[in-house]
Amino acid sequence: MILIVDVLNKNRFLPILDDMFRLRARVFQDRMGWDVAVTNGLEKDEFDALDPAYVIALDDDYRVIGCARLLQTTGPHMLSDVFHAILDGEPPLRSATMWESTRFCVDRETLAGRRGKHTVARTTTELMCGILEYAQASGISDIITVIDPVMDRILHRSDNAPYDYVGRTAEMGKVRALAALIDTGQERIDRVRAFAGVEGDIFATQEEVANAIAPPTGLPGDAFLREYCHQQIENAASLRERNAAIALQKALSGLGSPARNFDT
Amino acid sequence: MKSRIQLVDLTALSGPRADFLGHLHGLCRTIGVDYASYAATNPVSGKLHAFTTYPTAWKDHYMDQNLHLVDPTLRIAARSIAPVDWRRLEQDSSFQDVFGAARDFDLPSTGLTVPVRGPMGDVGLFSVTSRMSAQDWRWLKGSMMGQLQTAAVHLHDTVMTSDALTRTLRYPHLSTREREVLQWVAAGKSQQDIGDILSISSRTVEVHLRSAREKLCTLTTAQAVGRAVSLGLVQPG
Repeated sequence: MILIVDVLNKNRFLPILDDMFRLRARVFQDRMGWDVAVTNGLEKDEFDALDPAYVIALDDDYRVIGCARLLQTTGPHMLSDVFHAILDGEPPLRSATMWESTRFCVDRETLAGRRGKHTVARTTTELMCGILEYAQASGISDIITVIDPVMDRILHRSDNAPYDYVGRTAEMGKVRALAALIDTGQERIDRVRAFAGVEGDIFATQEEVANAIAPPTGLPGDAFLREYCHQQIENAASLRERNAAIALQKALSGLGSPARNFDT
Repeated sequence: MKSRIQLVDLTALSGPRADFLGHLHGLCRTIGVDYASYAATNPVSGKLHAFTTYPTAWKDHYMDQNLHLVDPTLRIAARSIAPVDWRRLEQDSSFQDVFGAARDFDLPSTGLTVPVRGPMGDVGLFSVTSRMSAQDWRWLKGSMMGQLQTAAVHLHDTVMTSDALTRTLRYPHLSTREREVLQWVAAGKSQQDIGDILSISSRTVEVHLRSAREKLCTLTTAQAVGRAVSLGLVQPG
């Protein structure tokens, strides 16, 4: 499922955002060797401070298995401020109906060997559909995305080939990067969905995810256990640990999930 | 601590700015909404510039009470990249502070705000409101989003360039490709022809044209060519 986290709802999803920044550190620093800044295991840059929208793929246990970041091209974005080598000294495109997508990644380690709904290929496609459908619903007709040749091949393989490229392929440190154009037309969305057999609504409601990651309201009667659970939840190093700690607290307090309250 | 940003009603000023309001009324008619407003912080003067088709009574109340300092359709929506449906803001206590009063003025609280981020850290906010049913609103939203985005950025760029200092900062920086495409348009070539000449897809030609139109603060390609010619960026065809 796909969750959109933006400035309006991010306070409800801070553990999910941290998990996402940890995934980005593993992918972009550890696996791909990009020159990115990682602090306390979290990969963040100056564009994360500009309130972007995040498209986040979650598995059935609400763990982050993929993500991408969206920014408007009318304001500061990576192609204009960081990747200008690609543009060869040319000013960037600027359009109200074009967003920039960056930091696209999928958790291959976790998904390797999984079958069914959460494979690498399926998650990649679901994330692409999430970006395209969210952009389309926001009146955006095109996405510009800075990618490496590997991602370009993945796009082609997923029946989501860019319709064109802007500028040139530039050397960015150890990797080569290029800027691709992708439309958000229904035809493309249908094609990408059909490729991986994605059907129905892929978006999770905010309430569903917020309730799933929230600690239960009831607490164990014993003061020591209460404190222990609190510590476990607070000190969790990942969303997985946090979920486990919450599950423990739920079990100890003899309570099920809190009442659900879906968007109306 | 809240900064005491001064709210300036652009329609109260004389001169060509009065056209902004006519433009907003026109947009209301074409899109099919009841009211439209635009507000932007000028990064140079620090003032919040605004104009609206709301009735004068509400405008006076809004300015008297300094509601712009708490209004979440400005304060919160300004930080979003996507259009914000006001339903997402209803939870915010400040929404009731502003729109509880709007009901007394018989104004709708169904609406959305389209934020525009400018190159200088400036933010423009274009809002529309409507009395229609929730179902009609959902349908209208789906059909008007692209149009709203384009209208919002056009308004914002026009307002930003209406000030001498920001105009200098925002001299249109067209890429070689954008100039090439405009030059071929000036020479009377179709989008398809231009794609063939430059060996790019016609959709890419469209993307460059759209970008050039926005950088030149124009809505149509003909206007963009005219302005590019007058700025000496393109030779007359």
